[in-house]
Amino acid sequence: MTLRSRRNLGISLFLAFAAAFWLINYVMTVRLRAAATVSGLVLLGLVLGLTLFNARKKLPFLPLLRASTWTQIHIYAGFLSVFLFGLHTAWRTPSGTFEVILAILFLAVAGSGFVGLAVSRTIPSRLTIHGENLLFERIPAMRVAVRREAEELVVRSVTANNSSTIADFYEAKLRSYFVRPRFIFSHLVGSRRPLLKLISEVDAMDRYLNAEEKEVMAQLAELIRTKENLDFQSCGQALLKGWLFVHIPLTYSLIVFAIVHGVFAWSLS
Amino acid sequence: MADDLKSIKRPERWDVPYCQEGSGKDSPEMTDADVDRLMQTPLLRQMDQSRFPESTSLRDILLNDSRLRQFKKGNIVVRQGDYGSSAFIILTGTLRVVLDTLDASVTGRQEPQQKSFLSVLAQLWKNPSEPEVRNLERKLSLGSGDTTVVTAGDTAVFVQDVSAIIKDKRTAELRAGEIFGEIAALSRTPRTTTVVADSDTELLEIRWQGLREIRLRSPEFRDYVDKLYRERSLKTHLRETAMFKHLDDATLNKVADVTEFLTFGNFDWYGTYSTLREASAAERIQKEPVVAHEGHYANGVYLIRSGFARLSEAYNHGERIVSYLGRGQTFGVEEVEANWRDGTQIPFRRSLRALGYVDVLFVPTQVLEQYVLPTLPKSKKPQDSFDTTTLRRQPVRSKSSKVSPEMLEFLVDRRFINGTATMIIDMDRCTRCDDCVRACASTHNNNPRFLRHGPISNGFMIANSCMHCQDPVCMIGCPTGAIHRDSAHGRVVINDSTCIGCATCANSCPYDNIQMVFARDANGRLYYDQATNQPIQKAAKCDLCAAQLTGPACANACPHDAMIRADMRDVERLAEWLGKQ
Repeated sequence: MTLRSRRNLGISLFLAFAAAFWLINYVMTVRLRAAATVSGLVLLGLVLGLTLFNARKKLPFLPLLRASTWTQIHIYAGFLSVFLFGLHTAWRTPSGTFEVILAILFLAVAGSGFVGLAVSRTIPSRLTIHGENLLFERIPAMRVAVRREAEELVVRSVTANNSSTIADFYEAKLRSYFVRPRFIFSHLVGSRRPLLKLISEVDAMDRYLNAEEKEVMAQLAELIRTKENLDFQSCGQALLKGWLFVHIPLTYSLIVFAIVHGVFAWSLS
Repeated sequence: MADDLKSIKRPERWDVPYCQEGSGKDSPEMTDADVDRLMQTPLLRQMDQSRFPESTSLRDILLNDSRLRQFKKGNIVVRQGDYGSSAFIILTGTLRVVLDTLDASVTGRQEPQQKSFLSVLAQLWKNPSEPEVRNLERKLSLGSGDTTVVTAGDTAVFVQDVSAIIKDKRTAELRAGEIFGEIAALSRTPRTTTVVADSDTELLEIRWQGLREIRLRSPEFRDYVDKLYRERSLKTHLRETAMFKHLDDATLNKVADVTEFLTFGNFDWYGTYSTLREASAAERIQKEPVVAHEGHYANGVYLIRSGFARLSEAYNHGERIVSYLGRGQTFGVEEVEANWRDGTQIPFRRSLRALGYVDVLFVPTQVLEQYVLPTLPKSKKPQDSFDTTTLRRQPVRSKSSKVSPEMLEFLVDRRFINGTATMIIDMDRCTRCDDCVRACASTHNNNPRFLRHGPISNGFMIANSCMHCQDPVCMIGCPTGAIHRDSAHGRVVINDSTCIGCATCANSCPYDNIQMVFARDANGRLYYDQATNQPIQKAAKCDLCAAQLTGPACANACPHDAMIRADMRDVERLAEWLGKQ
């Protein structure tokens, strides 16, 4: 099955289930049955089912379907849960503090899920084409190595050329660039403007340098590009990993709130 | 010595003689009297013992790298398809080689042992918190570990009525003094036939490390084995090839008589692999020995017996890759068939070059036209059969043409085509979540057996994970045979109990896919050698989760379908997966 046909299947199933739930909800509402109870129970069951994906990840040694199948189920069941949430709340803003918090939690979980999906589908290809692919855990050490190399270059240049021009430039413009991750927002939005600006400042120094110093500056420019890739890879991979740190804790909070909400609703019905 | 170290004696070659290894460890211990008796057999008697160094004398090899095996009438000694690591010399009795394929129910082919559901589940809480934990004080308990060891010759399958089962099969008799199993043992290929004991027999089984040693030191033995290798390999291979299957024995013999057995390139291809990898594409292709030239007269058909070959065509000032060929594939059939059919003189449309090394069988056109083509059934005719009048205008079509030429060049030049379970990651889908790495660790006592890192081409990464190669050069030189193929699936696995940590396999692997790790006890204390105070190392690598219920946990755990363990022989499936992404 190609990815396209799998996507078509997922969308078709989603639409079929959504239509079925809408019909059931409509019929129950018309007949003055407790439609909200049913949609609420189904929604709670669906949310609990969605959390099983995380449990599946912890049990890779059990024959519990491929994780990619779980992902597909998770994505379309997630869409379905948003639709069910709409049916459950009758597409209205809930009233009462507890319900508002519950709705916000649900929307935050769903929203972080959508962001995660979008990030998972867009960032990997950008990481691949941007430059050398790096292991996330190794990036901090590589960043330190690049900074050391740059500083050694500058110190050698001062000694060799008996001039502090490059050192002054490094201190003024490059030091802060090399010591920590930079241009995070630009990396997130895919802009290279800050890098090009820095490189143009390096290029602008050219007229004041002799041949040896120009060579040092060229090497520094190369290190700037290396560092930029380190930051880009680090930023992209942090985003790919980081959204889960929002999505998962919020999910557990949502479950607690949803169960309390269910108990209240049940006892008051 | 610090508290975090634990002293044991460093494992060495021959710590565990062959008679104690694997499921054949019930074999009687080899004694000096046994060796004296063996030295009187014709094959061993003629060897000049002075050619062997003192450290690995012929007697020592026989004592440690061989064992005596008894088989009752009806026992299967080797099974077709098993990956054997030993050869047999018949001491007494007779055996029957079954040239046709026997039913699996008869040969009792066994799946390697898998963990039970409970023991799989227990990994959740039983996995040690320390890395690379082992119990080395248990002193080399053999035959188990993370993987199942099933050595050829240990199949212990009894065939009730040999004569009834093989009466419709083509067979040949083997008598005392003859050797068999040497092809699989020396060429790292599966057994080509099944051998059944025709009477109660006694065999000398020599593991391939010893066999190589003897072959290296004794020219007489080398000549004898090479002669057998050529003769037996040739006939078996012809019988396996589709275009010769319809021939009767007499005609096949005529074809075999004129078939040439040719070898191109260097069998030790991995020695030059690293340096060649750094060379330019043009330099690399220049160094590849040409088996057949594009534009030359189509003088016959080439059958790939082992190794790999590049199929290329001239493109401007260079050579453009069209495909790669491996064991069992043919070259030149279309041209020879078309010329015979239409009476034309179409030359070879492409060139065939050895990648590293390639063993080929060459069958001349004249013989094919006389014996094979006139009786070739329609179903066996080449699928790529073409119209000779439009030949030059037609693009070359092949299964691999669905893979981009750049990707093909990448896979071929780096010899990733050697893999039967190459880990390919689609970097445009991989979210770098490392679920694959965690799944691998969970199924291997918390030790990941691959690195999610490696060369990338066209957005696809070939990760540093054992590829379970068709030609596993890592097995060359392992002094104890710890690294071997499991006989049921052909996976390359390491028997941790017999690994002495010499790192020969890790150094031999051209792809750097074997790691040497430091062994620790359950408390995290390093084991170290009593004599040298050096830490004890073990070789570690991917075993394709042989003991798990799920198959490779890494690919199963990928949430984005970004990973595949690809058999590079199946170009169609590979192309489908690459195209699907």
